[in-house]
Amino acid sequence: MLTLLLLWRPQRLARLVSRRFKPRLDATAPGVLSTREMETIVAFAAVLVEGRELDAHEASYVVEHVTDKAGKTPGYLALYRKTAGLLDRLAGAPFSSLSLERRIGLMVQHRFTEYDVRIREYLLPWGRETLTVRALAVPDLIRGYYFSPAGWAAVGYRAFPGRCGDLMRYTSAEA
Amino acid sequence: MAAREEVRETEVCIIGAGAAGGIMALELARRGIRVVVLESGPRHDLARRGDYSRRFVKGENPWESPLAGIDRHTTGGSVGYRLEWNRARGVGGSTLHWEGTALRLHTDDFRMRTLHGMAEDWPISYEEIEPYYGKAERALGVAGTPDDPWASPRSTAFPLPPFPMSFSDGFFAGACRKLGIALHHLPQARNSLAYGGRSQCRACGTCHVCPTGAKASTDLTHIPQAEATGHADVVTDATALRLEVDRSSRVRSVVYAGADRRERRLSARIFVVAAGGVETARLLLLSASPDFPRGLANRSGLVGRYFTSHPSIDVTGRVAARVYPYRIGFSTAMSGQFAVPRDRQRRGAFFLEFLNSAGPLPGQIAPVSGAWGTALGQRVKAEFGRTLGIRIYAEQLPDNSNTVTLSTGVTDYFGNPAPHITYGIGPYERAALEGAREVAVKILAALGAEGIRSGALGYAAHQLGTHRMGSDPAQSVVDANLRAHDVPNLYLVGGGCFVTVSASPPTLTIAALAIRTAEHLAEVYRGQGAGRRSHRSGSPAAGAIR
Repeated sequence: MLTLLLLWRPQRLARLVSRRFKPRLDATAPGVLSTREMETIVAFAAVLVEGRELDAHEASYVVEHVTDKAGKTPGYLALYRKTAGLLDRLAGAPFSSLSLERRIGLMVQHRFTEYDVRIREYLLPWGRETLTVRALAVPDLIRGYYFSPAGWAAVGYRAFPGRCGDLMRYTSAEA
Repeated sequence: MAAREEVRETEVCIIGAGAAGGIMALELARRGIRVVVLESGPRHDLARRGDYSRRFVKGENPWESPLAGIDRHTTGGSVGYRLEWNRARGVGGSTLHWEGTALRLHTDDFRMRTLHGMAEDWPISYEEIEPYYGKAERALGVAGTPDDPWASPRSTAFPLPPFPMSFSDGFFAGACRKLGIALHHLPQARNSLAYGGRSQCRACGTCHVCPTGAKASTDLTHIPQAEATGHADVVTDATALRLEVDRSSRVRSVVYAGADRRERRLSARIFVVAAGGVETARLLLLSASPDFPRGLANRSGLVGRYFTSHPSIDVTGRVAARVYPYRIGFSTAMSGQFAVPRDRQRRGAFFLEFLNSAGPLPGQIAPVSGAWGTALGQRVKAEFGRTLGIRIYAEQLPDNSNTVTLSTGVTDYFGNPAPHITYGIGPYERAALEGAREVAVKILAALGAEGIRSGALGYAAHQLGTHRMGSDPAQSVVDANLRAHDVPNLYLVGGGCFVTVSASPPTLTIAALAIRTAEHLAEVYRGQGAGRRSHRSGSPAAGAIR
């Protein structure tokens, strides 16, 4: 049956597999991360979004996003906790205490930087926790950071939706 | 809920403090007529708009009411018309979140039956409303210049200079010139210079919430001025639940309630309902009585019928050059060339808005890029700002089967039936959209755009036609002065009175009609020599009519 579906409508099969096996947020209540958990998440995000240590402003964008999501949207507190717990476990120490190079090495080794997860990976019976972080936490942290002023800075904008500026700027190319 | 005998009294009661209600409040109050405005929502103070703007950027709707279920509604028809982002409760009403596009209708829009043998003519002409357009433009502070070769004649200048064309408009201008399409400035009810005690626009980019007050909204342009006359009171958190009539079929009082759900009454000589095309119709339907078994002012059976909006589609394409989008939240160029099509019997009018904000945001590009670290920022920078977009607004014909009725199974915060909106579009609208799409694709192709695509069918935040005006009481709900045919002391103002809707956003026309109706109402009031009634029950007569 699956073979037939694969030959006949591969995209439909992919949708079916994705719908059935893709990791999802659970419905656990919103709440607040501990300081250590937050430090781990920020250290993780720094590698993902910039590949370097974040300055205080940049780090605050991550903290704001994570605090907001964990505090308001069901499932995100649990997702971030799972992420922080997994990273600390893999590091054998607080993940945030590792050097940037060691963090990058660990993340590449465990493929946390490959967040465009292939649908066939959803069917694998092992590595479910890592898969959840790759499929859900990583894109979320990248999205949150690039929706912040840091994302606008990346494209060269000092003023952007939500930050007022010089009215006439829109009439010419960006300096 | 048991009604309490907590009665206030005034000369004119206005229900709704939005575009129509806010303007009428000032126009009446400055003529010395006592007005009480009942507004369902709160005052959204300007000082809080910075926070609102931040919430909006995060995808939240800061105008959402805190009262659970007050905006509950159900939908039917081929297009589910939702209200969540398409209206706002509060002093200012939908002018709080409107885009500020301030277009007049065209001369021909008022004569669809005469010219094209379809829909109905308005009972007033463009020439009659033209002076009021000028007054509305001055009251709201419209920035523009008369460079639209297709526009109808105007007798007054725009009060503010236009916003200059944007950098990306320059791309469109070149392509339009090649194709023989007139591109011109888009009139905006926002300050290109400081005006009316409000600041110049500061390009905050979140026009759904204007944090500076540069965009005209009646909480800034009209309500404070009305209150300053000493003749207007605004009662917030006051949702009208029903209107009560006396034996002579006149409205005697409105029953309203706040968050505590306790019923209160306000009596008045004249009632003006200005609650938007959905809520005005619903209030009338909720006010059924033995005299009006189908709803107040509804002997024609047309209250809630002919619900109309503007179908809309964005057409986008990717260009090689950087176009620097998202630096202002509004558009500066449009084309009105198709606002009066020759083949209007076959397909509707449309207009093209050249978008200054199109394409994915950095936060949308990044998480699907597959990149991380240093490469991620580079990828976002390379991808961002290379999309041009054209928004199409199409004319919709009034259709008797598009309606606002009372939901049979869902109730609101107060236990009243929620509105049920049945909405769809037909071949006429689809033909207009298709014609517009073809033009938009040609323009983008002339720019060398790749990946040209049409977005999903949407609809504008315009709720029109549900208490249409006309001369014949069997075919309309209100007369040319917006007085209900069936109820002599009831006026229904706002977009619901539109007979046809053209392709243009309605707010400037709503404002012009509100000013015109206020003038009429003041004349009537003066003619009656009445109005020496007390502002509050038991207080001495105070409302001298000039």
